[in-house]
Amino acid sequence: MPRAGRDERAWVRGAQAGSASDLEALFRDHWPRAYRAAYLVVHDAAAAEDIAQESFLAAVRALDTFDRRRPFGPWLHRIVVNRSIDWARARSLRREVGDEALAVAEARLDAPKQEVSEEVTAALAALPPEQRAVIVMRFLLEYSPGEIARMLGLPRGTVNSRLRRGLDALQSHVAEEPS
Amino acid sequence: MNDAELRSGLQAGPVPGEAEAGERAWQVVRQAYAARERLPWIERHSRVVIVFALLAALAVGAVSPPGRALVDTFRDTVGREAPATQPALVRLPPGGRLLVDSPRGPWVVHADGSKRLLGAYDAASWSPQGLFVVATRDHQVVAVEPDGHVRWTLTRPGLVAQARWAPSGFRIAYREGATLRVVIGNGEGDRLLADGVAPVAPAWRPLAVRNQLAYADRAGKIHVIDVDTREQLLSVPSHRSVEKLLWAEGGRRLIVLSAHPADLNRRQGGIRVVGTPSLPAGHRLLDGAVLADGLFAYADYDPKADTTALIQAACVTSDPCLLIGPVRLFQGDGKLENLVVSPDSRWLYFGWPAADQAVFLRTPGVRKLATVPNIAEEFDPGGIGPAEFPYVAGWVPDPGSS
Repeated sequence: MPRAGRDERAWVRGAQAGSASDLEALFRDHWPRAYRAAYLVVHDAAAAEDIAQESFLAAVRALDTFDRRRPFGPWLHRIVVNRSIDWARARSLRREVGDEALAVAEARLDAPKQEVSEEVTAALAALPPEQRAVIVMRFLLEYSPGEIARMLGLPRGTVNSRLRRGLDALQSHVAEEPS
Repeated sequence: MNDAELRSGLQAGPVPGEAEAGERAWQVVRQAYAARERLPWIERHSRVVIVFALLAALAVGAVSPPGRALVDTFRDTVGREAPATQPALVRLPPGGRLLVDSPRGPWVVHADGSKRLLGAYDAASWSPQGLFVVATRDHQVVAVEPDGHVRWTLTRPGLVAQARWAPSGFRIAYREGATLRVVIGNGEGDRLLADGVAPVAPAWRPLAVRNQLAYADRAGKIHVIDVDTREQLLSVPSHRSVEKLLWAEGGRRLIVLSAHPADLNRRQGGIRVVGTPSLPAGHRLLDGAVLADGLFAYADYDPKADTTALIQAACVTSDPCLLIGPVRLFQGDGKLENLVVSPDSRWLYFGWPAADQAVFLRTPGVRKLATVPNIAEEFDPGGIGPAEFPYVAGWVPDPGSS
């Protein structure tokens, strides 16, 4: 779970007061989870980097007005997941105009090999972005369905049904995969 | 797969590129954070007033020998980094890499001053990360690596110009005659986007994950279109003499520069369109650029006196955008043009052809001033006759710093 205790509040307070080292501590604490969440929704390392980076930039821009009594993680994750869903939807639109080779352009030339669980990644990739997002929020970021509903601005029932359908689809995908 | 296995599958093992991406992102976030740091208002204001007063005094006195000496004193005070007698471009004072169009073709100039001629192209611009350059030559759009290696070429029946790479990296827009076209970043999927467009460079909205483009048409209208969905986000009447489109505030504001003042201040599709600032009668706007902290710089040319003043103004972050607190940053004989900001938006480059100098100015106000003389010959070595002054087409960070 992202750090939500005294350290984090101190980092936010320090960053608001102008301490770059506190901002760095906040960044380094939250980057891995933010990047991982974006990657698992968009399945594109370059896009995940852009999304997570843009989310942190949004955090910097809003730093002065951020209520430091609240945990930083949920606020950041909401931005990350919403942007990831937007990106994944836009990617689907691009596919409709025949752009399968999109990632070739301006892609980081040293594209890394797959390291996260390939089975889970492949199964997730087969889901619609909205289902991917709620599964990532539930099982990676470990938010409750109620919290996910609040963060995404959805009815709780919608979150539950997306979770259920997503899990069913994952289950059947894994069952179909040869071991 | 049960819940525990799914949780373990998502949480275990490194994600591809996580550490490297984190380092790159941290550099960007750190720069944004540094840019966010602002002096107390009163202190900032007092410095601006002092600089303005100094510059005003210099401008008045610069025509006399004592005034010339005062100019030199002022430049030394604010930190001239390159002596006027320096024979050549030795290094870029603020760092990064420049793309410079010259009569011989575009050059890539590195922070240490080393440079490479990319080839016989008419003009070029960077890809968002500076990994590639898109260049145009007669009927061809060409993607080139910074070492000159050609990645792909697209040939069109008409003459092509003003190719611009989208911030996402996935699209390139360019003009073919009076049409606007878009091609995927790998050179495939070339298609028509609009026709009847004005000879103004299209400007991509600075969004990482959407491809939205601003352009001007020949009827004097400004448009913003999502090139993938073809959704028209904005279409507003403007001025027929549009010369440049500039995005500000992360794509929430579109500044339309024209030779003559235009009071636009229209809002549509979440985008505020702002016109050219008012200038004294008879003056002409030569160029403009968006700086950090909501500041805007523009070159105000007085044809009668044949001098240009470089002005900094605050574009207040409320609607409508108001240009307030104009401060004169620099004044020189002839035209000051080709305003380009550094990747961190803190340095401003401008060309001064009458003095054959490239000028780098640290903002806000004038924190530092660095000049590079003999700039025309630098980019046309061995050329016959007067060399054409080069044009800086873009400025990106050093490789690995973003």
